[in-house]
Amino acid sequence: MTEGTIAKVEEEISSVAHAEPAGALEPAPGLLPGEVHPHPSPAQYVLIAVVLCVVTAFEVAVSYLEGAIPDGLIVTLLLVMAIVKFALVAAWFMHLRTDKPIFRRFFVLGIVAAVLLYLVVLTSLHVF
Amino acid sequence: MATTIEQTTEVGGPPAPTSPGAHGGHPPTSTGVGSTKLAIWLFLASDCLFFGAFISAYLLYRGRSTVPPGPKDVFDIPFTSATSFILLMSSLTMVLALAAIQRGDERRLKIWLLATVLLGATFIGGQVFEFTEFDREGLGLGTNLFGSSFYVLTGFHGAHVTAGIIWLLSLWGMASQGRLKQADAEKVEIAGLYWHFVDVVWIVIFTVIYLVPQPGLAK
Repeated sequence: MTEGTIAKVEEEISSVAHAEPAGALEPAPGLLPGEVHPHPSPAQYVLIAVVLCVVTAFEVAVSYLEGAIPDGLIVTLLLVMAIVKFALVAAWFMHLRTDKPIFRRFFVLGIVAAVLLYLVVLTSLHVF
Repeated sequence: MATTIEQTTEVGGPPAPTSPGAHGGHPPTSTGVGSTKLAIWLFLASDCLFFGAFISAYLLYRGRSTVPPGPKDVFDIPFTSATSFILLMSSLTMVLALAAIQRGDERRLKIWLLATVLLGATFIGGQVFEFTEFDREGLGLGTNLFGSSFYVLTGFHGAHVTAGIIWLLSLWGMASQGRLKQADAEKVEIAGLYWHFVDVVWIVIFTVIYLVPQPGLAK
């Protein structure tokens, strides 16, 4: 092998050895680190905010139905609407829809841990 | 013998150390995502447990107060609905600030950051007004179980919002001095994640504390 060929092979080995690892922090053009798909457009953000306002208005309206419908139904409706709002903000405004799944996994882990822990505590203290 | 660090390039092996990336100078990590962003998500996950403790304490003491005033005596649902709406809208202005810096539009970035700060400050102003009114009606921190659990939970949330306002004001100050450029979009995104988190916590507090039908005093 000639000197030139050896140098070329060495250069190639070096480029492979220093290559960015899979999942490295070099996002596609226009994306932030950790993003998989582009963030929503401002128009989509406004649409989500409108949906959040409408759900909030329904929540407040349902709270005024106390006495007209069973309390259990009011609590169920309010919790469902709160979960919908929570999910919309987390998925669209916090970009869990478009970012790498590792962020979603950590956040869901925190939520599930909190809900399970305090459900056990409150149940053992006969709150439910 | 000199110690050497092996660079593994085999499939499945640890990633080889490389030069910092183009975005914010992050070195590659074993998770493939930036440490700052991962850290804020871990903080938010741990904050779920923090707020979960206070929400649970409120639920535990709910309906167990033996002396007035109770929630039905002091809550002003239309007023709190208005402040909740304001906080919800601050999440919209926050994402619009992020969209602006991602486009490199520094003028709109400053406008939306300032709008978020003002909306957050209005929410805090509403909370201070609400606490003052409750105090006038005889509900102090040590009046009864409802007062203790309510003030501690909503007070800690208010402290989180206040910290967020200070954070956003510092970003606005940087932007005003021209020190927040398109390449710094991740800084705005991370502040935004914190801001949206205090919003989602309020979504839960507003429903569980204010809107769910309230029991009367314990006998």
